[in-house]
Amino acid sequence: MTEIHRESVLGLDNIRLDLPVAGLGSRSLAVFLDYIGLAIVAMAWIFGSILLAAAVAPDWTPVFVVAGIFLLDWGYFAAQEILGGGRTLGKRLLKLRVVTAEGGTPGAGALLIRNLVRSLDFLCGVPLMAFDPLSRRLGDRLAGTLVVHDRGREAAPMLGRVPAGWGARELAVVESFLSRASTLHDRALSYEMADRILERIRRDAPDLLAGVDTRTDPVAAIRQALQVEEG
Amino acid sequence: MDYARFVRMRRPVWEAFEAQLAGVRGGRASRRQAGYGTLEDMALRYRQVLHDHALAAARFPGTAAAHRLQSLALEGTRRLTGEGRRPAGVGTFFRRTFPLAFQRQLGLLGIAVALFLFAAVWGLAVAVQRPAVGLVILGPEAMRGLEEGKLWTHSLVTTVPPAVSSSGIATNNISVALTAWSGGVLAGVVPLYVVLLNGLMLGATLGVTLHYSLGGELLQFIAAHGLLELTLILVSAAAGLSLGRALVAAGDRPRATAVREAGRDSLAVLLGCVPWFVVLALVEVFVSPSQEVPAGVKLILGLALEGAFLALALRPVSPEAP
Repeated sequence: MTEIHRESVLGLDNIRLDLPVAGLGSRSLAVFLDYIGLAIVAMAWIFGSILLAAAVAPDWTPVFVVAGIFLLDWGYFAAQEILGGGRTLGKRLLKLRVVTAEGGTPGAGALLIRNLVRSLDFLCGVPLMAFDPLSRRLGDRLAGTLVVHDRGREAAPMLGRVPAGWGARELAVVESFLSRASTLHDRALSYEMADRILERIRRDAPDLLAGVDTRTDPVAAIRQALQVEEG
Repeated sequence: MDYARFVRMRRPVWEAFEAQLAGVRGGRASRRQAGYGTLEDMALRYRQVLHDHALAAARFPGTAAAHRLQSLALEGTRRLTGEGRRPAGVGTFFRRTFPLAFQRQLGLLGIAVALFLFAAVWGLAVAVQRPAVGLVILGPEAMRGLEEGKLWTHSLVTTVPPAVSSSGIATNNISVALTAWSGGVLAGVVPLYVVLLNGLMLGATLGVTLHYSLGGELLQFIAAHGLLELTLILVSAAAGLSLGRALVAAGDRPRATAVREAGRDSLAVLLGCVPWFVVLALVEVFVSPSQEVPAGVKLILGLALEGAFLALALRPVSPEAP
């Protein structure tokens, strides 16, 4: 998967927000999945029209097929994004979402515009996205939209007690370790890393370890000493 | 303020905001149900979360609190800001949005009409001078028909059922209009091509049929649908030209803003044309080729359709919201 490019916009009160802009790789994969979905829907529509019209009005089969394919051709992506809050099938699978250039919810007009120029984006969309820091294709520029990663929030451990003098770097390392400790397969390595953190706590704030059993389970000892809460 | 104290003091606010966001996950409907008090409270918490996010990003970057606040700020921004208001209904669109957008691009429509007429006269002159040009425009089969004194338009209803013809014509015309509009982002080149090509084709076709003394029959065929069909193609092309103009000559606004505004305006014009294409396709298949409908009736129908479209598009509307 492509790495997340972070780009900034100014939100309310001029507060900087870093939008996790989706890059060319994840967007290309999403559109590939969407076209697989489109092909399946189109085939289902054609067979459905043939079966239905054969039973009811055979003369109308081409009408259903022509009208259906036309609507799918121009409306498949736009309808999904309008009804799905800026997400198509491919974007849902890859956890992507269309937002306005300011990070807000785009209106139906913007979503329609960005999808009606899709045919032109077949010609110039890829180079435009590749050379743009916000990975915008022609439709995005016209509609004023961006595609961002929308992974949601995962619960992470937060420290309730911190040794004096610890900066953001130490805090981030400890929290990151605690959130991943349970997924490390090598328990010995996990304990070795935990011991190093305990050593640092012992050096900077020994009173935090008072009454804490650091020998049985060092990871649990850190949680107890720093009063970690999942949040 | 140290990290632990910051988390301890502010966490209830973050959790309350998270709960409120979860409560309006259903979108606009659930926001309406939430009530004014809840929304006001939510807006206040959103602001507090934004400020906490700014503080955490500056003082505690990379921490779980900073990540949580970043995620909350983004989700709050997406849900509470943007253009997600309810779109105007169909009635309001045709009474207000479409006429206003149409009238704003009348100048470009005038340019499109002038270019179209120029190309049509040119095509007519070429075809009158050299009728063999019809072989390129209409193809050998249609030319054989003209030599036998028949227009190719009979095939519209004789080779395929009328319903199939009309759906094919409607989708083709709408596709041409959409292409003319969207191609406007290429500095207006595609709509210009559509205008000139249509003018050239019409002029040349008329010239060739005049050579075979079938000009009257052609005019009779297009009397019911031709005028409005060409108008709609030109209106769509003018919408595309407005996109191209915003791109090339943005004026005193940022180019991105100008293109975005032109995009919204021209899309309204384009969408306003779509239902008329469907009506025209029905007329083109069921009325235009019919020998039983007198030429005068076809002409009156054509003028009535054109008049109805123009009356809707040019109806006086105040730019201020009602």
